[in-house]
Order: sequence, then structure tokens, then C-alpha cells
Amino acid sequence: MIVPYYHVIILAAMLFALGMFCTLARRNLIMILLGVEIMLNAAALAFVGAALQWQQMEGQAVVLFVLAVAAAEVSVGLALMVSIYRRSGSLDPDVRLTPAGKGAE
Amino acid sequence: MTLFAILFYAMAALVLLSTALAATRRNMVHAVLCLVVSFFGTAMLFYLLGAPFLAALEIIIYAGAIMVLFLFIIMMIRTDRQPDKIFTTGRLIAAGSICAVFLFALVGLTLEHPGGRDLLMAAQASPAEFGFYVFKYQWLSIEIVSMLLLVALIGALLLGLKLRRRSTDA
Amino acid sequence: MPLSFPIDVSLASAAAALLLPLTAFGIIMVAVRPYRRLCAGISIAAVGLSLMLAVFLLIRHLGMPEPVVYQKSWLAIGMMHIPFGILLDPSSLLMLTVVSLISFLVQVYSLGYMAGDPGFSRYYGCMSLFAWAMMTLSISSSLIQIYIFWELVGLSSYLLIGFWFEKFSASEAGKKAFVMTRFGDVAFLLGLVLLWLQMGDLDIVRLNDPAAVTQNLSPAMITLTGLLIFGGIVGKSAQFPLMTWLPDAMEGPTPVSALLHSATMVAAGVYLFARLFGYFSLSPTMMSVCLAIGTISLLMASTMAMVARDIKQVWAYSTISQLGFMLMGLGAGSFFSGVFHLMTHAGFKALLFLSAGVFIHHFNTNDAFSIGRQGGRKLKSATICMMVAAGALSGLPPLSGFFSKELILGRLLELGNPAWFVAGALGAFLTAYYAFRLVFLILFPKTGDAGAAPDDGHHHHQPAGALAMNAVLWILAAVTIVLGFWEHHVTTFLASALGAGRSQPIGHHPWLPIAAGLLAVSAVGLAWLEFGRKKARQIGFIERLPALARFFAQRWYLDRLYRYLLDKWVYQGISRLFTWNDKKVIDGAVDGFGGTAIHIGTLIGRLHTTMIQNRLMVMALAIVLMVLYFGLSG
Repeated sequence: MIVPYYHVIILAAMLFALGMFCTLARRNLIMILLGVEIMLNAAALAFVGAALQWQQMEGQAVVLFVLAVAAAEVSVGLALMVSIYRRSGSLDPDVRLTPAGKGAE
Repeated sequence: MTLFAILFYAMAALVLLSTALAATRRNMVHAVLCLVVSFFGTAMLFYLLGAPFLAALEIIIYAGAIMVLFLFIIMMIRTDRQPDKIFTTGRLIAAGSICAVFLFALVGLTLEHPGGRDLLMAAQASPAEFGFYVFKYQWLSIEIVSMLLLVALIGALLLGLKLRRRSTDA
Repeated sequence: MPLSFPIDVSLASAAAALLLPLTAFGIIMVAVRPYRRLCAGISIAAVGLSLMLAVFLLIRHLGMPEPVVYQKSWLAIGMMHIPFGILLDPSSLLMLTVVSLISFLVQVYSLGYMAGDPGFSRYYGCMSLFAWAMMTLSISSSLIQIYIFWELVGLSSYLLIGFWFEKFSASEAGKKAFVMTRFGDVAFLLGLVLLWLQMGDLDIVRLNDPAAVTQNLSPAMITLTGLLIFGGIVGKSAQFPLMTWLPDAMEGPTPVSALLHSATMVAAGVYLFARLFGYFSLSPTMMSVCLAIGTISLLMASTMAMVARDIKQVWAYSTISQLGFMLMGLGAGSFFSGVFHLMTHAGFKALLFLSAGVFIHHFNTNDAFSIGRQGGRKLKSATICMMVAAGALSGLPPLSGFFSKELILGRLLELGNPAWFVAGALGAFLTAYYAFRLVFLILFPKTGDAGAAPDDGHHHHQPAGALAMNAVLWILAAVTIVLGFWEHHVTTFLASALGAGRSQPIGHHPWLPIAAGLLAVSAVGLAWLEFGRKKARQIGFIERLPALARFFAQRWYLDRLYRYLLDKWVYQGISRLFTWNDKKVIDGAVDGFGGTAIHIGTLIGRLHTTMIQNRLMVMALAIVLMVLYFGLSG
């Protein structure tokens, strides 16, 4: 007997909205990635809550996959960030890369 | 209000606060550190919600590995040229309104549903049970996910190699 | 459902029969492509083993009381289960045997035909894939599985038709086959989805159970889904109006055509109809549509074949018309006649194409006149085999085609309307006429004929594989001769598991065999008069009416019509829009096209280089709208 299920869901929704805000508003590529992490985490929280609500193990298993996806996404995403930074010298999401692969500046 | 519930709400407040801080820090190192705190809180929540194994994973992978990776990258990239504003006003308004509508809709949807009012039954899936379940019923997904990780590894490696080649060219 | 041990012998052998060609495909494509002989060996061995297993299964289940089904859930989405499994019943076993037999023979034949081709290994890889797809299709237990392998069959035939892809017409033909069958497949898929929504599953056994179907579906719904599924059949089996891809599909190597036309690609359509026969027969409208489409295809394709000069093209048209004939038989409500004709047709059509392949291989031309002039009849075994096969195609008495055609005609006669029977008989007459027109053209060449330029193909004069090719021809000829006498056995076998509802005995008209035989003989006689005898001018009666002949030779202008529609509606419509957008470009259509292409390119490019966050914003907005939608509607 802990808390009502919908409190967990609302908490997850608030976290998700925060992550979404971070992703949409920050003018920095790394912060965008960080926002995605927050959203993934929020989804994981909702899954764990759902697993408890229906006493099903699937929810927890999905969280495991969320973790794996997050790890994969971060490794590739950060490698991309570094590559973009090297090419353009900036982490501004508005950076334009010319098709030839050299920084616009 | 049981002890569990008190712990839950305290943790929820901690998580929300630290996440909000993380989303608004100008210094990215601070943001990442706030997020680490948030993930510790989430791990605690996982424990309360009956997933001790996932709580451990959350700390080890999220707070331990992923966030540290972020820190590495942030330190690798010396961002002296921070933009003056971390938000532009137009973007702030647009993003804020989208998120507000989203939150509003989601909370409304959740509250509307009567099934969520019941208190959660406390239960715990021990790591052994969890492992048994995952490898009995979800083994294929596990294999696929491990494949995904391998692909990500190779992708990151490839990007790194390209970088090195370019820097030796230059 | 876990496998129970000890393993069921039937299941194990069926699964092995299916997995062998797939394994061969994998091994050939991944590991051993540089070793040509090894590739061919692996592929042939795999199909040969599959053939043995198929025969074993056939014998094992010879007297089986009811269909054997092995199913395992492959995917479960909520309440929907997508099962994957094997359904062994008489028709699927027969089909499996026929498919593996023809694949095996064609692959052996290809040893000679394809020797020296640079794509030899790729060829055998694709052949294995093809065999795997078709064999799995034939013993699939649910429609969704059939659909998956149906598309795989389409894919592998695309690969094989466009096998000589460096030749423009070949890659075009491959594309045409793929796209035109896709038209039908869209309808098929829609039908499947509708059916799924109504029935809850797509199990073939259940779909053929009248009680289960009528309980879940209204008669109108049965007709609608039936018609949609029939659309797929029309595309696959090259029936009217989606028939024009098949004659073009001969751009592939001849053994491929043999496989494509006899037991695999086009037969898949008719086979699907036979598979769902119980379902289709619940809707009389559906059956009459099938009858009508079959009749139209039969007659149209026969007329086209009467004026074609290209030997492979004639056989291609004959495939369309014979498939139409099968559909007539099925549409008239006779399951056996259609399936039996499908089997006999597989045998003699493979034989026709393979013997034509010998000529083409030897003389380097597809043109029947020029083969005849160069002494086609000197290739004795090929000529004899072709005559046997043409005889079967025409329905001459002791050959297999005679028996199956007679069954269909007999069934048509029982329909109330004599028009169907007349149309069928006319089709049979025309079939015999054009088949023997070609035979006589090759047998009795006339020197005075206007020369036709031999087209340059990828053919290689290598006597090495001739033995394999001839051996295959003789085997098939033997099958063609013998198969007809097994009519009774096949019928009882098919009847054994189908229940009484579907085994309407075909009424016996003692005069019908004689009449059918006479019909065929008279058609052959007409062909002899015009093409065979010493003084014959080798001009068919159609060619005396030039307008009609041109009409037929142009395939009733169907291709032109499609091209016109494509140009008129698709190309012109869009380009007019472009020009309107871009008034500055007035330098004719070509410049206009190029200019608009650049214009669109920059537009799309701008979309690509736009700031990442703007796109994220759109994505988030879409999510929010979706949440709102579900919130408000739910």
C-alpha cells in the first residue's frame, strides 16, 4: 500500500514535459541529448509503475530495454556531437553543415 | 500516509526539483550533476515501486555510465563560446506552450481514468525472479537489444575513426 | 506450443524440405559465390532433397483422413495472433511435389543452359530463394503467411526476370512484372485486412469452413473480400486486365520462364484460388466474376498468341490463356478440374519452355520463323518433346492436357448458360491452333519468308550441358504422357480430405471426350493447312485481316492504354503543376523538367538543412496533438 497509481503517472508526465522542454528550448546540442535522456527516464518510471499496478513483469523488462536504447543512443549521439563540434566549432543546433562536409564558417 | 508514501513523495519532489534545475542550468557540468541527483532519486523510486534490480541498473548505467560519458564529452569540448542567452524568447514561448499543453492533456487524461485511483499493491520482483523472467520470456528481445548495442558501438567507433582520419589529414 | 518429442516425422520432413533451399540460398549468397560448380551443386542438392522429402510426405499422407496442421504463434500483438505453420492437405502436398519437381528439373537443365554465364552463382542463389518461397507458400497454414511468401515469390521472380540487368529491356521487364503484380497485391492486402477484422484470424482451414464464415461475415462482405483477394490473383496470374507483364517477363533466361510459367509465380495465383475455394464458392457473384475474367483472359491471350512470332512469347500467351482456363474451371465450381489442370499444365508448360530453350540456345534467336529456316527440326529430341508438349497443350487425346481440359469443359457444360462452354471450346480450339502453328513453323520452314532479324541474346554455344538438358526434357515428356492416366487417382486423393461439400462429381458426357479430341484435331488440321503442308503460305487466317492481326500483335493495345494513362494522368498532370510553379522556365518540356527537378531538390534540401530543433518542435507538436486526439476521442 503505497501511493495511487496515477500519482506515479503524473510524476512521469511532469518529468517527460521537463525533458521535452529541455530538448525544445535549449540552444545546445548536448542539452538536447540530455533532454532526451530525461524523457527516456520518465518513460521508464511510468513503466515501472505500470508493472506494479498490473503485477506484470513485462513493464520491468521494458525498462531494461529502455536503458539499453538510452546507452546506444548516447554513445552514437555524443560521437556525432563531437564530430559536429570538430567540424563547426560550435554546439549551436542552428549550425549549418555544407554537404561537402566542412564547417560553414 | 505510510512510510513508503512519505518516502515516495519526498523522492518525487527531489527528482522534479533536480530535473528542473538540470534543464535550466547554463553550465552544462552543473546540469549533468543535477541530473545525476535526479537519477539517484529515480533509482530510489524504482526501489519503492518494487524493482530493486532496475534501481541498481539505474544508478550503474544512467548515473554511472551515461552521465559520466556526458561529463567526459563536455570536458573534452571546451565551450568557451557560450551563447549569451540559453533560451531565445520565441523558442522559449513555443517550447513552453507545447510542454504545458502536453502536460495538461496528459494529466487530464490520467485523472479522467478511474482505474488509477487504487493504491498500488506493494510487491517486489527480486533480481533472481526478474532475471528468470527476462531470460525465459524475453530472450529474443535481449538478443536484439544486444545487437543494437553492438551496432551502436560500431557506429560510435566509425565516427571516431573518421574524426581521427580528418584530423591527421588537416 | 513447445515441440513435443519425439519429433513428428511429417513435421520434421516438411520443415526440412522448406529449410533446405533457404539454407542453400544463404550459403550460396554469403559463402561460396566464387565457386560456381559448388553453388550449382548445393542448390540442386537442396532442391533434390526437398523433392525427395515432398514425395515422402505425399506417400505418407496418401490416405489421410483430414488435413494435418502444425502451427506456432509467430507474433502476438494484443489479441491478434499471427501464426506461422504448415498445413498438409492433398492439394498442398501435390503442389509441394510439383513445385519441387519442376524446380529440381529446371535447375538441372540450367546446368547446361546457363553454363558460362557470368552470373551463374547468383542465378542459382535466386533459384533457391524462388524455390523456398514457392514451396513455403504452397504449404502455408494461414493467409498472412501466404501473403508474405507471395511477395517473396514476386521479389525473387523480379530478381530472375531482370537477371541480365545490364540489358535495359530485361531490367524494365523485371520492374514491370514487379509493379503490375503489386497493383493486384494492394487489393489482396486490403482484402486480407478486411477479412482479418471480420474473422479474427486468417486460418485457411477455418476460412474454408462455410459455417465459420457465414457466422462472421455478411454475404456482401464475403463478395467484397473475395473480390479484393481475387485482385491479387489477377495480378499474380497475369489475368485480364493485368496481363501484359507476363509476355515481357521472358526477358529472363528461358529456364526462369519455364519455372515462372509452370509451377511457381503465375501458378501461385491460381493456387491461392484453389486454396480458398471453399471460401470463394460461398459467393456466387465472386464465382461468376472469376469465370468471366478467366474467359476473357483465355480468349484474349489466345488471339495474341496466334500472331506472335517469338517462340517464348507464344508460350507466354498460352500460359495466360491456360491460367484463364483453370480459373474458368474453378469459377465454374469444379475444384478438381482446376487443380488437375494446374498440375498437368505445370508439366507440359515447363516442357514447352525448356524445349524452346534448347532451340534458343542453339540458334541464338527467339523468332520461330528463323529457327525453322535454320533447321530447327534437326534438334530431334527437342522437337519431339516440343511436339509432345504442344499436343498436351492442345488437348490431343492420349496426353495429359486432354484429360484436364476435358474435365473443365465437362464442368462448363453443366452450367446453365451454354455461352461459357462455347467460349471454353473456342479457347481450346484457338489454343490447339496456335500451338501447332508454331510447331509447323519449326518443322516445315519455308524459305521465301520475309527475314526476321535474329535478336542478340546472351546465349552460349556449349555442348557440355546438352546431356542434362535433354535428360530433363525426356523426363518431363514422360510425365506429360503418363500424368493424364492418373486422373482418377489424383481425383480420389484430392477428394479424400476435402469432405463431401466440395467434391461434386463431374457429370459424364460420353460424347465429350470425343468432341474435345475432334476439336483439337480439327484445330491442328487447320494449322496444318495454313502452315504445315507443302504449298502452305504460312499466313494464318488472322493475318488475312491486317487490322485485326495488328490489333492482336499489339496486345489489344493494352500496353498503349496503360502507357497513355500513365503519361496523361501521372506524368502530364504532375509536370503541368511543376510548370505552373515555375513559370520562368519556358524552354520546352525537357528544360522544364530539369528546372523543376532542381527546384524541388533545393526545396527538399532546405528541409534537410533546417535547424534540428525546429524539426524536434514539429515532432513534439505532433505528439501533443496525438495525445489531445486520444484524450478527446477516448
